[in-house]
Amino acid sequence: MGQRKKVAAMNNLSSQKVSGGPADAVRVSSRRHNICMVSDFFYPNMGGVESHIYQLSQCLIEKGHKVVIATHAYGRRKGVRYLTKGLKVYYLPLQVMYNQSTATTCFHSLPLLRCVFVRERITVVHAHSSFSAMAHDALFHAKTMGLNTVFTDHSLFGFADVSSVLTNKLLTVSLCDTNHIVCVSYTSKENTVLRAALNPEIVSVIPNAVDPTDFTPDPSHRHDDRITIVVISRLVYRKGIDLLGGIIPELCLKHPDLHFLIGGEGPKRIVLEEVREKYQLHDRVRLLGALEHKNVRGVLVQGHIFLNTSLTEAFCMAIVEGASCGLQVVSTRVGGIPEVLPEDLITLCEPNVRSLCAGLETVIARQRSGSVPSPFSIHARVQNLYTWRNVAERTEKVYDRVAGEEVLPLDRRLRRLRSHCGPVAGSIFAFVAVLDFLFLLLLQWLVPDRGMDIAVDTTGPQGQWRQETSKHGAHSKCAMKREAETKTL
Amino acid sequence: MADDAFTDIDGKALTLDCQSHSSFCREFTVSSPKVSIGKVMVYTCSVWLVAYAVFFFTQNTAVLSSAILITLVGMMLHIHFVKVDHESLLVIGSLGIQVSSSYASGRETTAFIEMSKIKDIVINEAIYMHQIIYYLCVLLKDPSDPNAVSSVVPLFQSSKPRLNCLVKVYKSCQEILSKC
Repeated sequence: MGQRKKVAAMNNLSSQKVSGGPADAVRVSSRRHNICMVSDFFYPNMGGVESHIYQLSQCLIEKGHKVVIATHAYGRRKGVRYLTKGLKVYYLPLQVMYNQSTATTCFHSLPLLRCVFVRERITVVHAHSSFSAMAHDALFHAKTMGLNTVFTDHSLFGFADVSSVLTNKLLTVSLCDTNHIVCVSYTSKENTVLRAALNPEIVSVIPNAVDPTDFTPDPSHRHDDRITIVVISRLVYRKGIDLLGGIIPELCLKHPDLHFLIGGEGPKRIVLEEVREKYQLHDRVRLLGALEHKNVRGVLVQGHIFLNTSLTEAFCMAIVEGASCGLQVVSTRVGGIPEVLPEDLITLCEPNVRSLCAGLETVIARQRSGSVPSPFSIHARVQNLYTWRNVAERTEKVYDRVAGEEVLPLDRRLRRLRSHCGPVAGSIFAFVAVLDFLFLLLLQWLVPDRGMDIAVDTTGPQGQWRQETSKHGAHSKCAMKREAETKTL
Repeated sequence: MADDAFTDIDGKALTLDCQSHSSFCREFTVSSPKVSIGKVMVYTCSVWLVAYAVFFFTQNTAVLSSAILITLVGMMLHIHFVKVDHESLLVIGSLGIQVSSSYASGRETTAFIEMSKIKDIVINEAIYMHQIIYYLCVLLKDPSDPNAVSSVVPLFQSSKPRLNCLVKVYKSCQEILSKC
């Protein structure tokens, strides 16, 4: 519980800082940033990072900042698109290599990213996810161009195998001169600081959030004659599906009224199908396949218990969603999960079959005796724990801090790279940084900054979107413009 | 008309000529600079130098004659199909829009779009080569569904003027379109 106290202490600290001097607070809040979010992962791809970027951007727009998003093209979706509230998304035509991540050569993305940064007059570049090559590229280019950078890490890594050693080295280089890093939990912060050899003072913890209005409890969908355990996760090794395969037969044997509802798709589906086949549990274990985000709530409200068997997790959104729907949450004690929910809303187990079964047994017993709090009381407690507005406020403070910092000039940047990343990798990347700088000079000579049109702001202090939507005629024009883009690009 | 200095996206100077034939008929002409003699010299010289180098090693006179042929044909094709001298947009309220471009050789291509097919004229953004640019385009109505857009006709495609020029054309086009 020490970690939770730490969170609370941090919250108090930050709120004190703002309320410290009224004049200071006004000055800080009146500051507007032009933010560019860069990540390989954005809609139409679905996932945690995607929704994080979208929700955070929407809340920042609400606070009066200008936000644009840069991602790579998805199929025929390339060019410039507008989302709700004038959120502008650049789908840049960069080659996708593996798992929706672009290839990185450190250079080829510079012309387009520079164009975005210059024409949108970006002041802060915010990259997301360490799996995204485009995010690392953007950090590198932004530094070359003299912009302040923020990086959000969404995942945990190991230290032992070759692939993580390599990614960790890359991360060290990439985060070496990033101004500020945001992690989603204290565990994730610890992990990132160790992996990238960072100064912990420039790493902040800002958890993810859920939209509480999307996840409301509705006990009428439950079947009272049975107890339903809901599992919603991608069916991959990392999510502990093998553990789930061990739990199902053991518990089904003991409790004849126990049902499993499993949502998600992935390579480990075969494990669950085998278990179902072997123990003849077709009527009690339902595999729903891939779920769209909007259907998740409909599945959650049918259950009594939410089970999460992840083996590693930086911050588990799923258990917050489960608790928000009023379910009893049983989870493995890994990564940042112990920080996420108050102790009495979650049952933590060790990541093995026996411990998980024991944890589930106690919750089932409590459920039978009726000594669990009502779904609505759980929802009422969870709904204010993680909100996007809170996330946006805290991210805003990070931007305020970053905007005041100076960007290292090239010579100091090179020295820092070499002292910070070791003689070999440091020298290689110092050389790459020099090449990047020369390439930038070449581009500035070919297409000078003043030769580029400054984009019309849709969001931010001079945002055109709200004014236009208030007038009907102009509104239809906006809509048409969007339609046109859909057709052509 | 008093023009500001308009340039295209590469920074070359353009001239915009707006003619108001009547209150509902306007013509916009964007002219790009003529082919510069220096550029022609550079291209011709480089082709000939390469040809001469090849001739020096192979001692084959066919190389030289083909080089002459290539420069002549290349230049003709360039002025006939590539180099656009000026592009014009004629907007006639209640009738339609005529888009024409005349090439350096004197060839002209013209296209006419009826007003009943036109939904609107807008400025849009696109990724072009390694840049993100603004362009002006005509939205065409979908015959089956009057609220949908079936296709888009980009305007001033070869001169590619910058935003300040496009805004000027856009505003006066909208003046006429809003009347009918």
